Amino acid sequence: MHPALQGLLTIVIGVGACLSYFWASNQFLDRVLFPAKGPNAGRNINRANMIRPWLFLFPALFALSLYLAYPVFETIRLSLTDRVTQPDGTTVYHFVGLGNYIQMSGDPKFWEALWNNMLWLIVVPALSTAFGLMAAQLTDRITWGNVAKSLIFMPMAISFVGAAVIWKLIYDARPPDAAQIGVLNAVYVSLTGNDPQQWLTVPFWNSFLLMVVLVWIQTGFAMVILSAALRGIPEETIEAAIVDGANPFQIFFKIKVPQIMPTIMLVWTTITLVVLKIFDIVFAMTNGQWGTQVLANYMFNQLFVTRDWGVGSASAMVIMLLVTPILVWNVRQARKEMR
Amino acid sequence: MDNIAGHKSSLTWAVHISVVLLVALWLFPTVGLFVSSFRTADQIASSGWWNAMFPTEQSLTLRTADPDAQVQQDGVYVIEGNLFAVEGRDPAPISTFGISSRDVSAFQPGDTAELRDGSALTLQANGDYRLVSAEEITGTRGSRVFVSAEIPPEFTLRNYDTVLGQDVVQRLLMFVGAGLVLWGVARFVLSSQPPVVAQALPVVAGLALMAALAVGFGLSSGAAEGAQTTDDMARAFLSTLTVTIPATIIPIVVAAFAAYALAWMDFPGRALLIAFVVGLLVVPLQLALIPLLKLHLSMGIGKGYLGVWLAHTGFGLPLAVYLLRNYMVGLPRDIIENARVDGATEFQIFTKIILPLSFPALASFAIFQFLWTWNDLLVAKVFLIDASGQTTVMTNQIVELLGTRGGNWEILATAAFVSIAVPLVVFFAMQRYLVRGLLAGSVK
Amino acid sequence: MKSSFYLSVAALALSAGIAHAEKLTVFGPWLGPDQEAVQTVLSAFAEQSGHDVSYVGSDSFEQQIVVDAEAGSAPHVAVFPQPGLASDMASRGFLTPLKDGTADWIRENYAAGDSWVSLGSYADAGGAEKLFGFFYKVDVKSLVWYSPENFEDFGYDVPTTMEELKALEAQMIEDGETPWCIGLGSGGATGWPATDWVEDMMLRTQSPEVYDQWVANEIPFDDPAVVGAIEAFGAFIEDGKVAGGRGAVASTDFRDSPKGLFDAPPQCMMHHQASFIPAFFPEGTEVGLDADFFYFPAYEGKDLGQPVLGAGTLWAITNENQAAHDLIAFLQTSEAHEIWMELGGFLTPLKTVDTSKFSDEPTAKMNGILLDATTFRFDGSDLMPGGVGAGSFWTGMVDYAGGKPAADVAKAIQNSWDALK
Repeated sequence: MHPALQGLLTIVIGVGACLSYFWASNQFLDRVLFPAKGPNAGRNINRANMIRPWLFLFPALFALSLYLAYPVFETIRLSLTDRVTQPDGTTVYHFVGLGNYIQMSGDPKFWEALWNNMLWLIVVPALSTAFGLMAAQLTDRITWGNVAKSLIFMPMAISFVGAAVIWKLIYDARPPDAAQIGVLNAVYVSLTGNDPQQWLTVPFWNSFLLMVVLVWIQTGFAMVILSAALRGIPEETIEAAIVDGANPFQIFFKIKVPQIMPTIMLVWTTITLVVLKIFDIVFAMTNGQWGTQVLANYMFNQLFVTRDWGVGSASAMVIMLLVTPILVWNVRQARKEMR
Repeated sequence: MDNIAGHKSSLTWAVHISVVLLVALWLFPTVGLFVSSFRTADQIASSGWWNAMFPTEQSLTLRTADPDAQVQQDGVYVIEGNLFAVEGRDPAPISTFGISSRDVSAFQPGDTAELRDGSALTLQANGDYRLVSAEEITGTRGSRVFVSAEIPPEFTLRNYDTVLGQDVVQRLLMFVGAGLVLWGVARFVLSSQPPVVAQALPVVAGLALMAALAVGFGLSSGAAEGAQTTDDMARAFLSTLTVTIPATIIPIVVAAFAAYALAWMDFPGRALLIAFVVGLLVVPLQLALIPLLKLHLSMGIGKGYLGVWLAHTGFGLPLAVYLLRNYMVGLPRDIIENARVDGATEFQIFTKIILPLSFPALASFAIFQFLWTWNDLLVAKVFLIDASGQTTVMTNQIVELLGTRGGNWEILATAAFVSIAVPLVVFFAMQRYLVRGLLAGSVK
Repeated sequence: MKSSFYLSVAALALSAGIAHAEKLTVFGPWLGPDQEAVQTVLSAFAEQSGHDVSYVGSDSFEQQIVVDAEAGSAPHVAVFPQPGLASDMASRGFLTPLKDGTADWIRENYAAGDSWVSLGSYADAGGAEKLFGFFYKVDVKSLVWYSPENFEDFGYDVPTTMEELKALEAQMIEDGETPWCIGLGSGGATGWPATDWVEDMMLRTQSPEVYDQWVANEIPFDDPAVVGAIEAFGAFIEDGKVAGGRGAVASTDFRDSPKGLFDAPPQCMMHHQASFIPAFFPEGTEVGLDADFFYFPAYEGKDLGQPVLGAGTLWAITNENQAAHDLIAFLQTSEAHEIWMELGGFLTPLKTVDTSKFSDEPTAKMNGILLDATTFRFDGSDLMPGGVGAGSFWTGMVDYAGGKPAADVAKAIQNSWDALK
């Protein structure tokens, strides 16, 4: 059988099974279990409506619990235990309390990762939002604004693996007497006359060069959302400001920005979430060497290279802890909207 | 709006210029990759891609013809020929040359250089050389000649042949052309249909034609001369599609029902569930890999497409439910109330009213999830790729290529560009929906 | 006599396999040219045995095999590039011991057979020492690559002692040339080439016994002997001795690094790397003509003989079936070794192979170095626990190349080792 046909068949079966569940379960509920006919029609409709939300929700809740909630609890458990292989080949888990966390806090690489993550958390959302806001304001009123927007938005579609290759080419360094093929070194050498730098190994600054990659990817996202928010600002407020003789900059910072503050916050937190989980870029470009380690990559190393599940899970818990404030804020926002 | 007297012209100019700068800055990296993928290894190594249109000064190591090409003339042994022809290169003007690695630019064209074995080499600017020796020339190979030459710019599709197999790019372009024609025809025919159909069908039809052509005629007819890929990129492409399409559709279906329930049905615990979904938005998925793989294996799913679909469904759901619920909540309440009064069942309301109205949000999430699953490497590696070698995905092939061809920028650039080409096309084709859906979920 | 007996046993096992063919999946670290070679070997096996064999290679073999074994979806046979990882997995009960008699066959037929047996034997979950790994395809690491024509141009001679090598280095610098091209970059495994340097210097400054103690952590990593070896490596990467300067060492890709030998003008004169590196030379480079190698020499004044550092891939059964045992039996035939020998880039300690089958003169010469070693030691970082040998040792060497003092680096590596215990 041709692999393409196989693929097509599996696609049809997979999607078909999913759709038929919803249809069949609703049919079952309305026709067999609580038919909306006969003596108990009214009660049956009510009963059916009690159950229906759960029919609608069941697959999603099941998948969410299994694929996201269960691993979280599993991780909490693993982070408090040590794995020991018994002589007969079975594996047991000994409870060690906070032992893994104490061991981790003695590892300088962990503190480096934590410190870098903090830097990432400050720099990337700030720059992405700032650039996004600037791009949104500038492209809003020019004729070819939409074209410009889609070009700035484009990096969103690029995989991290692809982005890593793109930026490695930019940071590439050749020996001092050869022609530089990396843009950054070409510019640097022609401006300063110094020898080319191995950018990704320059301590402290190399983390920022990795952040640039994520800023490049996320700016488009920020721009699209903020530009919609800018358009939603009532015209009267701006006209009033113009009448009062405000210049364009004053209008932007004093009138527009305060009005779209909630959206700015939303963009900021969304990008923060991406940053906290940042793994691929660091993994593909430096693998956390030269002082660029971040938490998710540290966790990956502990899990799959050192094979120390306890510490790996403990570092995962640290990521979860850092996420908690954002989580609380998000939940609060969601509840506000409910009212 | 901005037409305040005196400011207009200068400000407008400033805005235009700054936007041009911004766009240039954001495009620049990708353009570099794109250009590099059409250059030869020598070209990439000798000049930055921004100089791709200009001739470059390159140092080449060439060789004279083998000693068995020598002829005896007037008592001396002579080898004559053209240095570039020996290598099968196109001739290029030579500026300097050398015969020892001590000094590779010791001589000017037309000079005669004395080799270590006593023979004399005369080299012209066009690469013609004459090697004269009193003794018979021995050795297994010709002597090295280092030349600096102005190599004209050169663009090639060979990198694509190396990465994808022979002639794939040419064929793809043909298919794309056919797809575009069908798209045009379909648009024309469907122009009287309702807007959603008129927008979506031509795209689907065009893509379907391309896929049919690709399956019918095949993409690859074997690896190129000198290609080092043992991989079957065409198969990886199909695998990626097999992963991506259900992994995009299933979460949408599942999430749409759940989002509707969370938006428009009243039941105890709704607020708690919404908080639960939002909370799960932030779980790093590396946590889930091993526990879930164990689970799959114990359930008998093993490694395979089903497992990877389920995993992508699980990981994509929080965002899907969140986005779609936000959109559905914003739909006008009275439409739904009226339908309920008219006696429509919930299932009918959902399929006949809510789903069509939510199209922008659905499309937007679909694009997101498509990009995410297409670009994913980690999930595929853990849940799909096994030792049978029958299942692999594009990103994995690319990464393996990076591993084997660590320093070959021309291959890296091409491979990376191949991996981002499809997402880029999808992105530019569907951008409108993406933006619309994004906004629905975020801006009130 | 005995070996032919084993051969006939292997042949019997092979013919028995035809009766019920099975699926066999092999997972290894090879990609590109090596992948084609291993597939040729496996298809020869498939043809003889009737089993349905498939091979998959991965650049991140180490991580992938761990995930698969933990989850229980391991391939039938895994080809480990490092004994350290295999021993770790054996102690977790993921490997199946090889058939009885395999160890005797190795002792009988492999040069330095005992050491290959002990390298492939690990404690299982119960602590009992068993043979789990069968070595097939080995690499010699103590080699220095150079371009003979460049040496001719400058009139350099191949050094035969470390003292001569140091003198040659000084001569090159005097001539305005750069002696070395060194690159440690290797994606997720960045840093590993430096561990080979340190191990080579360890064997050239200390006795083999000290080397063994170091690998087993019986002397701490920050012992003066080890710090001395790290600093001996440091002597090669001083500015002016290495292309691009010390700063470029850690970030240059090891696959890119040897290309400097063949540039015009050459960026460097010598490159220290294992026997597999010709696969990454520029297209059309002929080993023996464009490029050649010499043994990375030992100090004449230290009387440590001719130590050779090597490495190898070991084949272990991660998911038992008859076909997997048949494959290990097939690897005990000369034919299995000769197929890859003809394809090039393959060395073997098997004494019964027909050496005329080597693809080229240089490989045969390399195999000679392997067989003539007075001391043969296995790549130490491959024997250390994964967290050190494939973790802190690598990153430590990157830090060292970046300018951190050797003593601090060694201390940090020792700390990480302690944390694993």
